[in-house]
Amino acid sequence: MTAEEIKDVLIEIIEDIDEDADMASLKPDVALRDQLDLDSMDFLDIVMELRKRYKIQIPEADYPHLATLDSCVAYLTPMLAGV
Amino acid sequence: MSDFPLIIIGGGLSGLAAGIRYARFGNDVLILEKHSKPGGLNSYYTRRGMLLETGLHAVTNYAPPEERHAPLNRLLRQLKISRRSFITHEQFGSRVLFPDNVSLSFSNDFQELVDEVARLFPATTDRFLALVADMDAANPFLPEPRVSARKRLREALDNELLTELLLCPLMYYGSSEENDMDYSQFIIMFRSLFQEGMFRPSGTIKDLLDLLLAHYGSFGGRIRFKSGVSRILFSADHHPRATGVELESGEIITCDALLTTIGFRETMGLVPDQLLPGKNETAPAGRLSFTESIYLLPQASRDKLACDKTITFYNTAPRFNYACPGEAVDLTSGVICFPENFHGLESKEYIQLRVTHLANYGIWQEAAKGGPAGTYAALKEEWGKRSKEAVGKIIGNYRENIVYEDSFTPVTVKKYTGKVNGAIYGSPLKHKDGRTPFANMFIAGTDQGYLGIIGAMLSGVTMVNQHLLT
Repeated sequence: MTAEEIKDVLIEIIEDIDEDADMASLKPDVALRDQLDLDSMDFLDIVMELRKRYKIQIPEADYPHLATLDSCVAYLTPMLAGV
Repeated sequence: MSDFPLIIIGGGLSGLAAGIRYARFGNDVLILEKHSKPGGLNSYYTRRGMLLETGLHAVTNYAPPEERHAPLNRLLRQLKISRRSFITHEQFGSRVLFPDNVSLSFSNDFQELVDEVARLFPATTDRFLALVADMDAANPFLPEPRVSARKRLREALDNELLTELLLCPLMYYGSSEENDMDYSQFIIMFRSLFQEGMFRPSGTIKDLLDLLLAHYGSFGGRIRFKSGVSRILFSADHHPRATGVELESGEIITCDALLTTIGFRETMGLVPDQLLPGKNETAPAGRLSFTESIYLLPQASRDKLACDKTITFYNTAPRFNYACPGEAVDLTSGVICFPENFHGLESKEYIQLRVTHLANYGIWQEAAKGGPAGTYAALKEEWGKRSKEAVGKIIGNYRENIVYEDSFTPVTVKKYTGKVNGAIYGSPLKHKDGRTPFANMFIAGTDQGYLGIIGAMLSGVTMVNQHLLT
């Protein structure tokens, strides 16, 4: 997957988790948690949904890599290279 | 290879929520429910073509959709149920009624309770507000040593009557302990009932259960009814793990992990004795059970009754006694509920009245099993009559207007829910981390410690998140 495709997938997943999320004004380099009002339970859903869709394991120690949309894409790009 | 990665015992609200949460991410899961219907403690039955609910008076933890971090909204997000399409009807308002016409009203507007405290106990208002601030700052979900709520309230308020007025509804709506509760539990319940408030989802409990079942099914989750578990199977090594269950029919189904929602002691009853000697000492039985009566009255009787409140928690004794009574039923306190008193509900041909009292399981059990035929029915008749008299003194006489009535006793609760002693709130000893002596077996629901309909579902979700998803 390309970086752009991964970004689209992430946006789709977040929209699916949070029906009130304002994705249009989302800044890719600012922490998702600060913009979306997600709590840790919601955050787990992003990880679980990625696992369900692409069978990738994201260890808890790596969660800090998923702070912003940009950092998510950077972290996921090698993992999803063959998808 | 096992038949299922996860088996959940119990198709009540915690089991269904846990099932949805697990199935949502593409995992195979089977729920086993003993009865022909889902819901457990909050279910329904039909009589004369009417659907009657068991358990549900009102759902606590009301929150508007904007309050994203409120338990109700977090729960719905976790279950992937749209909050915007989840219709809620808020209560009219409720009250706690004590001797000498002391009446403390509360509603979904917390300020009403604050004003009521100020009206009744002007000298205690500051202390009450300080207590609220203290509770707001606390995290009651952390595993802390038990603190007596009654003791803490007495110290904080220095007002015996206010202490009892606050404890009464919270005990009735979820204390598994006699005459006290854990202060953390008190904080959770205080938020659920007083700070957030009460509502009903649209429709009946059946509609809510149908929604959950359909949702669970849409994720591929499976459920089997009339599938009581007769024992849990374990591996035969030094660290036994649950490997599956045997159904009452003799059928064996295997699993990698087991989540049980039927209560800790009830679960231990399915574990072979030699595996866990002295298992019952680790799980004291609850002692608090209840009788509940449902009455249908013509709409016209509304004019003659004091029925403007949604729920009245009453106590007529000099000292409120939340304990297993010495007699079959304790009429000195109770819960009187008008389930139509929620905003936005359509009025029907009849109004419902539900009355709950503390009851003694042993006495009812003895009448059902030990006495000559008819003893149980006679006891039910007698206490039904006395309850109508006691409640009539509070809301006005309604005996002559009853179109239909039905009641259940602690024996009914035991029969349909399997709860030891008919104790709907389970054991006074909770297992907040959901762990059992077996590494791949967990508990959720009543004995894990979250209470009420929203609490039960959050319990299922939280235990799956903590132990089974990651």
